[in-house]
Amino acid sequence: MNDLYHPRSVVIKKTVIENEARDIKTFELVFLDQEEREKFEFSCGQFAMLSVAGAGESPIGIASSPLDDEYLHFTVKRYPTGVVTTALHSLEEGSEIGVRGPYGNFYPLKAMEDKNIVIVGGGFAFTTLRSTIRYLLHDKNRSRFKDITVLYGARTPGELIYKSELKQWEERDDVNMYVTVDRGEEDWKGRVGLVPNILSEVAPSSENSIALVCGPPIMLKYTMPPLLDLGFSPERIITSLERRMSCGIGKCGRCNIGSKYICKDGPVFTYKELRELPEAAV
Amino acid sequence: MQESEKELREVAKKLLLEKKVDLIIGYEEGTLPLRTRPIFIREADETKKLVWNFRCENNLCFYLKMAKERVGIVAKGCDIRSIIGLIKERQIKRENIFIIGVPCSGIIDRKKIEDILEGRELLEGIESDSQIILKGEGLEEKVDKDKLVHASCKSCKYRNPVLYDTLIGKEVSQGEGEEYSDVEEFASKSDNERWAYFNDEASRCIRCYACRNVCPACYCPQCFVDQSLPTWFGRTLHPSDTLIFHIIRTLHIAGRCVDCGACSRVCPMNIELRMLNKKAEKDVKELYHYEAGISLEELPPMATFKMDDPQEFIK
Amino acid sequence: MRKGDRLKEKIIKKEQIGKWLEKLGKDYEIWAPVKKNGLVSFYPIQSAKEIYFDFLNSKKTPKDLFFPQSEVLLSFPKEEVGKEVKTILQKPRIIFAIRPCDAKSLALLDQVFDSEDYQDPYYVERREGILLVGLACTHPQQSCFCTSVGGGPFEKAHLDLVMADLGDGKYFVEALTQLGEGLMQRDDSLQDVQEKDREKLAKTKEEAEEKVKSKLVTKGLEKKLDKIFDSPLWDRVHQRCLGCGICTYLCSTCHCFALLDEKDKARVKRIRNWDSCMFPEFTVEASGHNPRISNRERMRQRVMHKFNYFVERYGETACVGCGRCIQSCPVNIDIREIIEEIRNE
Repeated sequence: MNDLYHPRSVVIKKTVIENEARDIKTFELVFLDQEEREKFEFSCGQFAMLSVAGAGESPIGIASSPLDDEYLHFTVKRYPTGVVTTALHSLEEGSEIGVRGPYGNFYPLKAMEDKNIVIVGGGFAFTTLRSTIRYLLHDKNRSRFKDITVLYGARTPGELIYKSELKQWEERDDVNMYVTVDRGEEDWKGRVGLVPNILSEVAPSSENSIALVCGPPIMLKYTMPPLLDLGFSPERIITSLERRMSCGIGKCGRCNIGSKYICKDGPVFTYKELRELPEAAV
Repeated sequence: MQESEKELREVAKKLLLEKKVDLIIGYEEGTLPLRTRPIFIREADETKKLVWNFRCENNLCFYLKMAKERVGIVAKGCDIRSIIGLIKERQIKRENIFIIGVPCSGIIDRKKIEDILEGRELLEGIESDSQIILKGEGLEEKVDKDKLVHASCKSCKYRNPVLYDTLIGKEVSQGEGEEYSDVEEFASKSDNERWAYFNDEASRCIRCYACRNVCPACYCPQCFVDQSLPTWFGRTLHPSDTLIFHIIRTLHIAGRCVDCGACSRVCPMNIELRMLNKKAEKDVKELYHYEAGISLEELPPMATFKMDDPQEFIK
Repeated sequence: MRKGDRLKEKIIKKEQIGKWLEKLGKDYEIWAPVKKNGLVSFYPIQSAKEIYFDFLNSKKTPKDLFFPQSEVLLSFPKEEVGKEVKTILQKPRIIFAIRPCDAKSLALLDQVFDSEDYQDPYYVERREGILLVGLACTHPQQSCFCTSVGGGPFEKAHLDLVMADLGDGKYFVEALTQLGEGLMQRDDSLQDVQEKDREKLAKTKEEAEEKVKSKLVTKGLEKKLDKIFDSPLWDRVHQRCLGCGICTYLCSTCHCFALLDEKDKARVKRIRNWDSCMFPEFTVEASGHNPRISNRERMRQRVMHKFNYFVERYGETACVGCGRCIQSCPVNIDIREIIEEIRNE
């Protein structure tokens, strides 16, 4: 009867430190009971509540693809005042934690079929976009989508996450990859420039296209004008929001922007919807 | 209208007109019988709303914690002691505050009115010089103000402001009675009785934190009770959680509390822990010969160290 | 009036109530208004003598009997799961003398905790196991405005049984559900209703309704709020606010909560506590960012949630006009004035 808040048990199979500051880690989680993985049906853009017994729960976007059927990935940034994120980071491989979810809505994968996809990500907020890219590039799926353009940026090379995957994607010829950093370093041979500027340079066509954008608020704010300039209409710009959450199911009352609960009515919103919200997030 | 109220309005008006302050914080009539409430005035015309009476129960220093402009504040003796504390602890700047001091013979404790009403509703309250007439359905009762004075005011030795820029009205006589007689009486009870009392009080706490928020001495950017890393104690309603909150708060404001009584007046659950604060005040007075909020110069005992400080407690 | 309806109405003399409750007490745990430390709250009672019949309303709302301020949802290790939560109700309960406004608030909480897409098991179990015996409100207070938000001092909705003090030592009792009828039938000494009782009831009702002097115009309020999200009005109305939790914790419709863990040596408990939108910590994120940065945004959230967001989501205002927030606010922030200001904006 207490299923609603009852987390499923998962084991940390593997952890990967993603950034130079070592405060972003990806956790590969495997359900103790594989049947639970099958029941955990999710789509790209959704999140789950991760919990460490004694520390509590925290909402984290799912970073693996729905087609990665043996495990779940969550990329978690540790904050000095974050009880759960700090606890998670201190756990070793093999530790048991809880997962509750999946929650929230997702990117409109169906509507994205037969369209060009432009993915714009910034910094650490690349996790559910990574889930989406893995999904789109999967052998089973790639042919259902037209051109795929991925623009991903971080402040410094050390802050780029999923580095080995970025490299793999760069090597593919069925995806246009643009990785950029705000400030280069000596051994950085890649692009230097802010995401909105690179977006204007790359200028992906808006014809028959959908853009997914995810990043820090400041990046979102400056990415919307170039997208609009390129001809993307607000309903074809999709983004994802974050707020403090506790229940994940639209009941605890804190994550709303206007009348919309980010956990339930979101986290995915079109730019059109976003502009109609009173406390403009972007 | 009382003379002092008239004078107050004139002073406030002048301050605004002469641009000596940007904002006046004072009291206006409230929306329920016998209630007054804080008002914020920026226009000289509005000063006619100001009131000063026995019912001005709020300690307005809360609003100084946030004020960024030059503020004129209507302040009673205890409020002024709070202001002194805030200045000493560098929370506000003396030059930004214009203190409109009001001598005060004690203010109302609405809980005492509730006791008289015995559950009936107060429909109207009329205040005269020495009495209050309480009116309700089938009820009309005259009560001496003396009987309604808040416990903190009874023995108050600082009814006349110790610091002010202007004084409204005439000085009043100081409170009578032995300041710590109630504390001593309580202290003479057995451990078990005292513990039972505190537990009983804390068991009603709903953790609304009104006592903390209204307290002039509570201005930590993040209160220990809200910290989560580390989490100092639980957030349930168990007395082991609620009582520890009140005890730690008492310790944190020891030597800083001026016994303005705001914490007990705002409590919706009639929790009365004034005794704890009073005991801390008494100890500080005896150990360090210090009273909070009396002078701007004297160093706060909990923030200074002297070689001859009592140290017997260090074992 | 059909004949069957009359059977659902009875008269009970005040001195009979004790006996009746004694009978009910065999099967039910009875919670009723009791005065302790100068405060009226609902407590389990053993005898009708403990009941404080002349209460205006309870200080805290009885909502915590359905949605406790703090409750353990789960505990770890797993073998402990269920130990804490299986004993929600030992025995079916009666809340005796609940006011109509508070009964209405439960119907509003049902929308949140017992909806089609979500049934909160803890809440639903209590709701199903607790009967509501209402006591019509013959002394509405100055701060009451139930009639402006769809209620009334003699409103019967959402109750199993309602009682009304006729002022002559008799109470008019009306069963509103089958369960309520069952409670009434438990005592065969209840008397039949006479025509003059019915007249008395109508008169008492009318008098009570007249006492609800505060009238708020809530029509069109939701739409108005849509338009004034960025209005300077919010700068004014929050000024006095101390940022405490009194208005939300004493509110009969507020239902925001936080889940958190507490641990001792033996186990970890996942606890659900009430939370308040008036607290800064309510929305502060792990990064330290807080989207509702001051009392202005928090006060606006409280008003919007009640009079706009909730209306949009569930079609009703999340306020029953009980006036508790007005009475208990330490700085006399009065929601009636705020509504009036909004309407005039």
